[in-house]
Amino acid sequence: MNEQKFPPARILGIESSCDETAASVVDDGRMVLSNVVASQEEIHAKYGGVFPEVASRQHIKTVYTVVEEALAQAHVGLDDIDAIAVTRGPGLAGSLVVGLNMAKGMALGSGKPIVGVNHLEGHLYSAWIDPADSIDEQEAPPEFPVLALIVSGGHTELILIRDHLQYERLGGTLDDAAGEAFDKVARLLDIGYPGGPAVQLTANGGDINAFRFPRAMMKGTWDFSFSGVKTSVLTKVRELRAELGESENDEDVDLPLKDLAASFQQAVVDVLVNKTRSAAQEFQAKEIVVAGGVSANELLREKITVGAPGRVHIPPLKYCTDNAAMIAAAGYYRFIHGHVSDLAMDAMPTWPLTEI
Amino acid sequence: MPILESNSYEFISRSPEQTRRVGMRLGAELKSGDIICLEGDLGAGKTTLVQGLASGWGSTDPISSPTYVLVNQYRRIDDERFAHLDAYRLQNAMDADALDLEELIANGPLVVEWAPRIIEVLPEENLNIKMTWVEEEHRQMYFKANGDYYQKLLEDFKKSMLGGS
Repeated sequence: MNEQKFPPARILGIESSCDETAASVVDDGRMVLSNVVASQEEIHAKYGGVFPEVASRQHIKTVYTVVEEALAQAHVGLDDIDAIAVTRGPGLAGSLVVGLNMAKGMALGSGKPIVGVNHLEGHLYSAWIDPADSIDEQEAPPEFPVLALIVSGGHTELILIRDHLQYERLGGTLDDAAGEAFDKVARLLDIGYPGGPAVQLTANGGDINAFRFPRAMMKGTWDFSFSGVKTSVLTKVRELRAELGESENDEDVDLPLKDLAASFQQAVVDVLVNKTRSAAQEFQAKEIVVAGGVSANELLREKITVGAPGRVHIPPLKYCTDNAAMIAAAGYYRFIHGHVSDLAMDAMPTWPLTEI
Repeated sequence: MPILESNSYEFISRSPEQTRRVGMRLGAELKSGDIICLEGDLGAGKTTLVQGLASGWGSTDPISSPTYVLVNQYRRIDDERFAHLDAYRLQNAMDADALDLEELIANGPLVVEWAPRIIEVLPEENLNIKMTWVEEEHRQMYFKANGDYYQKLLEDFKKSMLGGS
């Protein structure tokens, strides 16, 4: 199929739906000129979770600096921008409004059009960003129909993309997101935060068959459930502690952490890969996209790529965790398809992809 | 015996499905502005109970854990919003303004998981539910009403529990 040709446009993207304040300038939905993220991960690690100032205040403090920095790093001014794309939802209302108001103010002052973007749509379009940083090595974008797995701390969704901006949500988690299951199990095993990297590191060298944790395949649906595997790890840890004759709160336990982590990781990855592959086959998707923070997991990357019938696109990590380049990329495709938003648009804390 | 106190109620659920059904009964009683505080460790069944609460209330949206996003809001056809807050990541140094609790309860009930972590900013009057892991599928639920309004709510809920299975 011939690659579609779209008009050029330079988009400023702004993202503030959860913990990260981010801004980015992207050309033609694919070439990233700058990608600035103000994250508070170090503070989070100290508290074993996200620092309370997650919301409005921290975003307000950083949003001006982050946007200015994104423009400066791209060597452009607001005049050189064709449109401003901003995350409208889903996310925390208090956080979303900071980015939205910033974008609205800039749009009002400059007369530039504003484009409201769905955060999940942003994750999907992270796969359209050219992973190569130089223009000489451009890779062709994903080919439709695409089967996308968005897998992060807050989301686990299977989406069929038939064409630009045409999303069909096949299913999603009914309880915990995959990334959340990693965080919670890391907490159970007391191996650190964030849970994804901690579990992966601990699982290294562990026996994947040491414990048989359930794989909730949710047959007949494209939904996921990771609450059961979490509870199963919890039950096993309690059993082991009882066998080892240690109390529940004993810090100095001699648990087989490597085996527990490896068996758990394998169970989660098995479900993700199995369901994504089956869905791709069922809906005759040409290619697969895996986006969101959990796509950093090496076992997932390996299992989903090896033997896949078509290309599997897994964006570089900087575009998988929350960022504004993906918002600018999605904003580009909305903009060139004529989907410009009204300045009066509100934040949408709850905003399923199907209601775009 | 807590079970005899009028402002409390104890229930042992034997499966996640039963926990969900109990939630649905209570959820059907919830009005805008009501606050339910949940406590209990990982795997105690908090999210399962909230799934019941929100669907009993009439949510048209699927209910999932808000640990990462902090707040989920579920919609109902009359435009009310059921707010589901997870305070786990908030720890103790709360920034109450950022969450805007008043806004959250303006158009629907609010359920808070890991409520003890932000107890300073929650209203003193509420319905507290403590969940405890008993064994693999069994979970204990201890309901305690704080304030007259919630005592009435708890009594209505108890009647509904005793009235049918």
